[in-house]
Amino acid sequence: MTARLQALATYVPCWGDERRRTAGPDEDAITMAVAAGRAAITAAGRPVDRVVLVTRDLPTLEGSAEAVLIAGLDLGSDVLATIVVGGAPAALDLAASADPGTLAIAVDVSGAAGAAAVVVGGTDGATLEAWTRIERSLPVLVRDAQGEVFDYADPRLLRVRGVGAAMTALGLDTKPVAVAGLSAKDAASYVEGKPAHPPTTGASSALFALACALDANASGTVVATEQGTATAARLTAGRTARATHSPAPRALPKRRSIADADIKISLPAYERAFDGKVRLAAGQCSKCGNLDLPQRYRCSECGAEASSSLAALPRDATVYTAVSVHVPVPGLLTPYDLAIVNLGDSGVRLLAPVTDAEPGTTLIGDSGSVVLRRIAVRAGVPDYGYAFVPAEGAR
Amino acid sequence: MRRVAVVGAGMTPFAEHFDLGIKDLLPMAVTEAIDAVDKGLDRADINAAWFGELVSTDGFAAGILADQCGLVDIPVSHLENACATGNDTLRNAFYAVASGYVDIALVAGADKVRETSSQTTFWDWMAMTRDMAWDYPLGLVAPANFALHAQRYLYESGATREHMAMVAVKNHANAVPNPKAQMRFEVTMEQVLSAPIVVAPFGLYDCTPQSDGAAALVICAEDVVDRYTDKPVWIRGVGLGLDRVMHQHKADMTTFPATVKAAKAAYQMAGIDPSEIGVAEVHDCFSTIEMISYEDLGFVPRFGAAKALEAGETTMTGRLPVNPSGGLKAKGHPPGATGIAQCYEIFGQLRGTAANQVASAPTLGLAHNIGGPTAVAAVTVLGTAKP
Repeated sequence: MTARLQALATYVPCWGDERRRTAGPDEDAITMAVAAGRAAITAAGRPVDRVVLVTRDLPTLEGSAEAVLIAGLDLGSDVLATIVVGGAPAALDLAASADPGTLAIAVDVSGAAGAAAVVVGGTDGATLEAWTRIERSLPVLVRDAQGEVFDYADPRLLRVRGVGAAMTALGLDTKPVAVAGLSAKDAASYVEGKPAHPPTTGASSALFALACALDANASGTVVATEQGTATAARLTAGRTARATHSPAPRALPKRRSIADADIKISLPAYERAFDGKVRLAAGQCSKCGNLDLPQRYRCSECGAEASSSLAALPRDATVYTAVSVHVPVPGLLTPYDLAIVNLGDSGVRLLAPVTDAEPGTTLIGDSGSVVLRRIAVRAGVPDYGYAFVPAEGAR
Repeated sequence: MRRVAVVGAGMTPFAEHFDLGIKDLLPMAVTEAIDAVDKGLDRADINAAWFGELVSTDGFAAGILADQCGLVDIPVSHLENACATGNDTLRNAFYAVASGYVDIALVAGADKVRETSSQTTFWDWMAMTRDMAWDYPLGLVAPANFALHAQRYLYESGATREHMAMVAVKNHANAVPNPKAQMRFEVTMEQVLSAPIVVAPFGLYDCTPQSDGAAALVICAEDVVDRYTDKPVWIRGVGLGLDRVMHQHKADMTTFPATVKAAKAAYQMAGIDPSEIGVAEVHDCFSTIEMISYEDLGFVPRFGAAKALEAGETTMTGRLPVNPSGGLKAKGHPPGATGIAQCYEIFGQLRGTAANQVASAPTLGLAHNIGGPTAVAAVTVLGTAKP
């Protein structure tokens, strides 16, 4: 099996340091998958027919995570999305075996956080050919149904009988150009030269490894490992469109939480708002063209009733007004900033939390963009919507 | 249409009344209002009552007023219109009396904000005023909703936090002589400016406290007014205005169109110009809101509030004393009672009996509320001269 990589996009959160990125409190597997996936689709410049997400950080929205993923990517609601539980080998196998028209995404949330996505298809991208794999069991790390991690805590055992034995069993004839699933230090002994190293070690590291090799214009073997398992694929350099989101790392602001609060949710209200809120789409009046966000029964401009349909809104944004909430609010981390932003030149404003920025630093007139985030968890339900991210160095 | 006068007014102190329930506070205010009628009033003479309350803490609101105040034999209606509830309750009772269907009406307002944990209050009150899907989960707490306006107002008008602090200093000083006020202490500019930030740009002293309390008015038709007093205070004008509900839909956040509309209606009914107002109780839940309201009520030109504060125009000795009671800022703010208590204050000011009496003997006074997601405002104009 050989796949052509039309586009590859990578995403790391802004929080953390040069060594390791941390997911923000409003990020999860779905929001990070959407960030990487949207960038890949844009870079490919073509729609996709199906979406596969590989992660071991299980989204908690049973039966709805796929819907949020599809809506966040602004794909048709008939597009099939599948979530696969797996690590780096599963992600590399997926990328090598996916049919043209597939968006393959891999995400890591816990531990070093990151996400990467490839669009398979096209005619002139790099090719990735599945080659060989080895399945063995050495469960040094396991996760129970609630997601709690149990660590056998024997890194030497993992190095020798896990990765070491798996690499030997693969029987590679030459050193790989990139290895995923390992720390930079552990990977150094296996790879040729000193290539760039993935910022994660889970599922997404396989696609980050591809990105490292592509950016070095390297051809050769790419290996992905996870505990006792390893898989190898052959990469041949090509013209794969690339997108990278890697803002300068910064420390998570110190914020406090005084108490949990039951933030109520109305599921009928959630369901009615879902498409507009997760796709960032306003109701556009068929009579006068006016945009109303949220969509409404009666047009605020011409009064036409029941005659609007959803229209995507621009995502570039400028702050009209912004505040910083310092008083402790149960259930929320304080301080937090809220802004009303103008969305492009649409005339539509959005009330949004400010994210990826130190609280209190957002000012009227700042420019940036809005991105899908988990705005709140309400009675256990993750509630997704758009947050404002100030542009780096915009001021 | 008949002319309508206020003949009695009463209120409980505003405070954290942990020891008093709504069933205690309401009859206290109602009885004080009835007892304040100069020539006496038998409560059996009251034809109907209107009760403003935002959150019913002990169940069915209208029934509690009827039951606890000995008024079960007359019709009682409950009204809720966010923080404009008080003045809007008076407005509805006024219409009933003016129309000729009711001769004597009781207008009461009350709320027990401190009846639930201050921690749950945030989410309870947000649930009343926010879109459940779009705004509620964001944590747009009440100070934040007003701060969105304040930030834009400061940005466009050039006013500063020092001007906001002048409002707090003034209103705290005004509350000191008022035995009904919750915060009877003075604050300095420095204290206001160095206080912990609640929601920027509001520090602690820019914000109203959480309060419990009740207030009541007795109003009657001109036909019967002589039976009750020789010094009626006439309801000269009432107005209510609304605006788009969600903040992202308000085109210009440096002004409150709801106030502009309510004031216009009240001035028109009174046949007066805002410059004729001699004393005013203005909604100052947050210091900047008093400033914006000066402009929306027509007291000063647009973006002229800072200059007026610098000149001391709204202090007790200025050309238009604002919030002689201490305002929401220092007297307190149990929302359903707030507007009624403002009219209690103006009633006293126009009769020369207020605790913190304006020296200039005003003949026209104004009460103003802006409420909820800054989408509703109510204005009442009271005067000593019969319209």
